[in-house]
Amino acid sequence: MRRFVLLLTTLALVAGMAMLPTSARAAVELRLVVWDGDESLRVLQQVTRDFERAHPGIKVRLENVDYRYFFQRLLTQIAGNSAPDVAMLDPQNMQMFAKRGTLLPLDPLIAETPDFRLEEYYEPIVSVHRWEGTLYVLPRDIAPIGLIYYNKRLFREAGLAEPDGSWTWDFEPRPELGSRCFTHVMSRLTRRDAGGKVRQWGFAPSWTGAFTDTVVFSQGARYVDDPEAFDRMNFTDPRVVRAFDFVASLANEKKWMPSQSELTSVVQSTAVDLFISQRVAMYQCGIWDVPKIRKALQPGSPDFFEWDITLAPGYKDPVTGTVSRAAPTGGSGYGVLASTRYPKEAWLLTQWMAGEPGMRAMAKAGIAQPAIKRLAQGEDWIPGPNTPLEQRYPANRIVTDVAAQQVVFPPTADYWMEVSGLVFSKTEPIYLGTATAEEALTEGQRIASTRLETILKEEALPPFDWRIGGVAGFALLAATIAWVYGPELRKKRSSAQRLENRLSLLFLSPWILGTLFFAVGPMIFSLLMSFSKWDIIQAADYRGLGNYNEALFQDPRFWTTVKVTGVYTLVSVPLGMVFALALALLLNTKVRGMPIYRTFFYLPALASAVASALIWRKIFQPEGGLLNAALFGSDGRGDLFGVASWLAPGGELPNWLGDERLALPSLIIMSLWGVGGSMVILLAGLQGIPDYYYEAATLDGAGIWSKFRVVTLPLVSPSLFFTLITGVIGSLQVFTQAFVMTQGGPNDSTRFYMLHLYDQSFGSLRMGYASALAWLLFVAVFVATRLQWRLNKYVYYEGAA
Amino acid sequence: MSARRDAMRTRLALSFGKVTLIMLLALGCLVFAMPVYTSFAMSLKTPSELATTAAWSWPKQPTWANYEEVLSNPSVNFFRLFWNTVTISTLGTIGTVLSASLVAYAFAKMNFSGRDRLFAVLLSTMMLPAIVTMIPTYILFKELHWVNTMLPLTVPAFFGGGAFNIFLLRQFFMGIPKELDEAAKIEGAGHWTIYSRVVMPLSGSALATVGVFCFIYNWRDFMGPLIYLNDPQLQTLETGLATYNSLRAEQWHLLMAGSILVTIPLIVIFFLGQRYFVKGISMTGLK
Repeated sequence: MRRFVLLLTTLALVAGMAMLPTSARAAVELRLVVWDGDESLRVLQQVTRDFERAHPGIKVRLENVDYRYFFQRLLTQIAGNSAPDVAMLDPQNMQMFAKRGTLLPLDPLIAETPDFRLEEYYEPIVSVHRWEGTLYVLPRDIAPIGLIYYNKRLFREAGLAEPDGSWTWDFEPRPELGSRCFTHVMSRLTRRDAGGKVRQWGFAPSWTGAFTDTVVFSQGARYVDDPEAFDRMNFTDPRVVRAFDFVASLANEKKWMPSQSELTSVVQSTAVDLFISQRVAMYQCGIWDVPKIRKALQPGSPDFFEWDITLAPGYKDPVTGTVSRAAPTGGSGYGVLASTRYPKEAWLLTQWMAGEPGMRAMAKAGIAQPAIKRLAQGEDWIPGPNTPLEQRYPANRIVTDVAAQQVVFPPTADYWMEVSGLVFSKTEPIYLGTATAEEALTEGQRIASTRLETILKEEALPPFDWRIGGVAGFALLAATIAWVYGPELRKKRSSAQRLENRLSLLFLSPWILGTLFFAVGPMIFSLLMSFSKWDIIQAADYRGLGNYNEALFQDPRFWTTVKVTGVYTLVSVPLGMVFALALALLLNTKVRGMPIYRTFFYLPALASAVASALIWRKIFQPEGGLLNAALFGSDGRGDLFGVASWLAPGGELPNWLGDERLALPSLIIMSLWGVGGSMVILLAGLQGIPDYYYEAATLDGAGIWSKFRVVTLPLVSPSLFFTLITGVIGSLQVFTQAFVMTQGGPNDSTRFYMLHLYDQSFGSLRMGYASALAWLLFVAVFVATRLQWRLNKYVYYEGAA
Repeated sequence: MSARRDAMRTRLALSFGKVTLIMLLALGCLVFAMPVYTSFAMSLKTPSELATTAAWSWPKQPTWANYEEVLSNPSVNFFRLFWNTVTISTLGTIGTVLSASLVAYAFAKMNFSGRDRLFAVLLSTMMLPAIVTMIPTYILFKELHWVNTMLPLTVPAFFGGGAFNIFLLRQFFMGIPKELDEAAKIEGAGHWTIYSRVVMPLSGSALATVGVFCFIYNWRDFMGPLIYLNDPQLQTLETGLATYNSLRAEQWHLLMAGSILVTIPLIVIFFLGQRYFVKGISMTGLK
C-alpha cells in the first residue's frame, strides 16, 4: 500500500512538472477572443492565418468561447489583469466596457490610418457602437432580423403572388390588397385538417419577441426615450400595448402563427425547422439561418423546395398613408482592450478582421452580412453569374442591403438587460393568453421603473478601505479558529490526547493547507465585497449594509426567488432520496447481468447535459411530447387514472414548461432523473451490509418489511444522511436546470435564487450585491444543515470513534 | 405430498418475484437509456434528416459521417482534447482519492480536540456559491502564474479533494466496525497502519465511488477549463465540443456525435468501477 501511494505521488509530481508552461513566445502574440460557432470559426482561422502571412512577426491566438459564457470569462480575465488584446463585442455589451475605460477609443487610431474609410460602413451599426460620441468597436457585420424567408411552392399553391417586399401588415387582414397585405397572406397560408387542427401555419417568428418588436418599431414606437442612457420607458404606450395583444391573438385566437410555447418546445432550434419541414410557409429571422437551410434543402434532394427571402412588412399609417419600416437587429464587431501591450498591432488585427479581408471571407461562406456597404452589395454577398449553384439560394439577397438601413438596435444602456428583463418576465402571460397586454405591461413597467430609479440613484460612496478590510478578514479567520478550538482550551488533556491531536494534524494537513491556500482568501474576499459596490472592472466602493438592506427590503425579485428555491428543495430532496433508495434496493438484488443494469441506470448521470436538456424539452412538449402522450394518449383525448382531466380541465393539453403552475413541478420531475449519484452512494452503502445480518433476522422470523426497518435502514443511514445533507446544500444552490431549460420563466415561476445571483453578478456587473446574496444564502444553508444535523443522533455508525 | 406442494409454491412465488424484478429492471433500463439512445440516433443522421424527423426516431440510413467529421475537424482537434481531458481527470482523481481519504480518516477514526466544529467548517466550504469566489480564485492562480496551465485544475485535488468527497468517505469509514481498529491497536498498530492496512482495504466500494464520481466530475467540468485555459491546444473535450453548441448556430449532428464520443469512456469507467462497489461486502463479512 505504502509503495503504491509513493508511486502515485511521484507520478503525479512528474506529470505536474510536465505541464508547466514551456512554450517560447513569438515576437508579438495577440490574443483574439470570439464567440463564433464551428462554421464561422473555420473561416476566422483562415482569416487570421492570412493576417499572420501579411504581417510577419505577429502571431494571433484565436480563442473561441460561446456567447453564453463569453462575458463571464472576459470579465474574470479583465479583473485578473490578463485580458485578451482584441475581443468580439456587440452593441448590447459594448457600453459596460467602454464606460469603464476597458476599451481603446478607436477614433485616434482611425485618424492615424489614412487609407481607412469608416464612411464605407453602414451608418446605423457604426453609430450604435459609439458611446458619448466615441467609437469603441469596429463593426464586422450587421444582422437585421427584418427578413422573411418564404416557401415559393406554398405561395404558388395558395394562388398568391410572391412578395416583393413592398407589403404592409395590418391589425386585420385586408383581402382587397391581396399579397400586399402580410396579415392576409398569413391567414391564406394557414391550413387546417378536417378536425380544425393546424397542419401548416402561415407564419412563424424565430422569437415571438422579435416579431413584437417589428410590430412596435414599424408603428414608430420605441421602448425607451434615449437608447444610450434612458431614464424613462414607454411600455404603456398604446402602440406597444396593441402590438403585444395583436401578436398574442395571431397565435392564440387566429392560430395563423405557432404560439410561444409551440415554438420553444420544438427542439432542434425553432422556426427554421418548421420551415424546412414545410410546417410554416414563411418565417422571420436574420440572414444567419441560410447555411442551415442550404444544407438541409439541397437541390435534387427529396425534401427540396424553392425558397427565397424578402423584407419584413412595414406599417401603413391609416391616417397619413405613409409606410414606415423598421426591424430589430443584431450585429457585432471587434474592440481593442485598453490593457493590451501592443495597441498598434491589435489595431492592425482589428482592421483586418472587421475590414475587407474578414468580411469577404464571412460573406463568401454566407455567414454574415458585411458591415461595409460596398461589400454587402458586391458579388461575394449578392449572388451573380459566377456564384456556384449551392450558393445561389436565396437569390434575393439584395434586400439585406435595404433591411440594413431600417434597423432598430436594442438600447445600448448597460442597465437595459436587467430592467427590460423585469418587464419581459411579465409579458410571457400575454403570449400564453392568461393576461391582457394592458395589465401585464402596466405591472411590468411599474416594477421596472422602481428598479430603474434604484439603479440610477447615484450614491456618494467612499472608496473601499482595503487596510480595514484586511484586518477584518484576519479577525474573522481568527474568530473561526477560536470558535473551533476555544472550548478545548479549558479542558485538561492527557498526553495520549495531545499525541492524537498532533497526529491528526498530519492527516488533516492536505485539507488545512488547501483550505488556507485556495479557499479562505476568496471566501473572505467575497464577504468583504458584500459590503461594497463593485462592478468587477473598477475599484470597489464601501457600501456598508446597503447590499443586505437592498436584498431584504427593496429587491423586487429577492423573496420570489427564495420561495421558488425553498419549494423546490422541500419537494425535490425527500422525493429524490426515496427514489434513489428504491432504485438502489432494486440494483442490490441478485439478478444475473447486474453490472449491465447498474450501468444503464447510471446513464443519465453520464450523458451530456445538452443531450439531457434536449430530451426533457421533448418530453415536456405540449404537442407530441412524451409526457402528454402518456397521460392523454396520442390523440389527446385519453385520461390516464384521471390525471389528465385533473391537470387540464379545459381539455387543452398542459404546457409543462410554459405554464407558470407546472414549470416548477416539471423541473422537480426532471431532478428525479438526476438521482444517479445518490443511487450509487446508497448502493455502495447497501453493499456494505453483511449478509449474516439478514440471515440472523430471517432466523428471528422477520418479514421483508421488518428486515428493511431493522437491518437495512440503520445500516444505510450514514449514506442516507449524507445524501440528505449534500442534497439540501446542492438544491438550495440549484442553477443549471433553470439556466438551460426555462431561464427563470414563465413569469419568474422557476427563477431560482442562484439564477438571480448570477444575473446580478456577471449580467449587471453588481458583484458586491451578488456577494451579499451569496452570503445570505450561505447563512441559510448553514442554518438548514445545522437543523438537519440533529438527525445525526439517529444515524447508526457501526464504528463511531 | 403437501410439503412438496409447498416447496413448489415457494419456487413459483420466487420465480414470480424474479420475473417482476427483471421486468422492473428492464423498464428502468429503457427509461434511463433515453438520453444516450437519443444522442446516438441523432448522431447517425444527416443534418437534413435531423431537421425533419423526431429526435428519437431511428435514422433511415445510419451514417458515420458525423463521427468522421468530429474526429477530423482541424479547428477542434479531438485527439488533443481527449488527451488533455484524460490527463486532467486522472490527476484530479488520484489526488482526490489520496488526500480525501487521509482527511476523512482523521474525521472518522481519530478523536482529536475540536473535531466536530472543524467538521462544520469543512462542510461550510460547500455552502458558498462558486460564482462569487471565481474572480478572487482566478486572481490567486494568476499571481501564482498558473493561468493557462493545467495546474489550477489538478493541484487543488491533492489538497483535500473537496468537502463533498471527504464527507462521503467519512460516512463510509464510520461504518467500519470499531472492533477492527481496536484489534489492530492492541497489536500495536498506529493510525497510519490502521489507515493503510485496515480502513483503506475495507473501503473498496467507497473509494471506487469517490474515484468514479471524481473522474466524471473532472471529465465534464466546463467552467474550470473555460476560465483557466486560454490556449486552444490546452482545451478539454467539454470546452472544445462546445464549439458545436454555439448559440443560434447549433450543429446538432456534430454535437451529438461528439457527446457520444465523450460519454463512451465514462460508461467504460463506470462499468469497470462498479465491480469494486461490490468488493466491500465480502471483506466486511469477515468480521
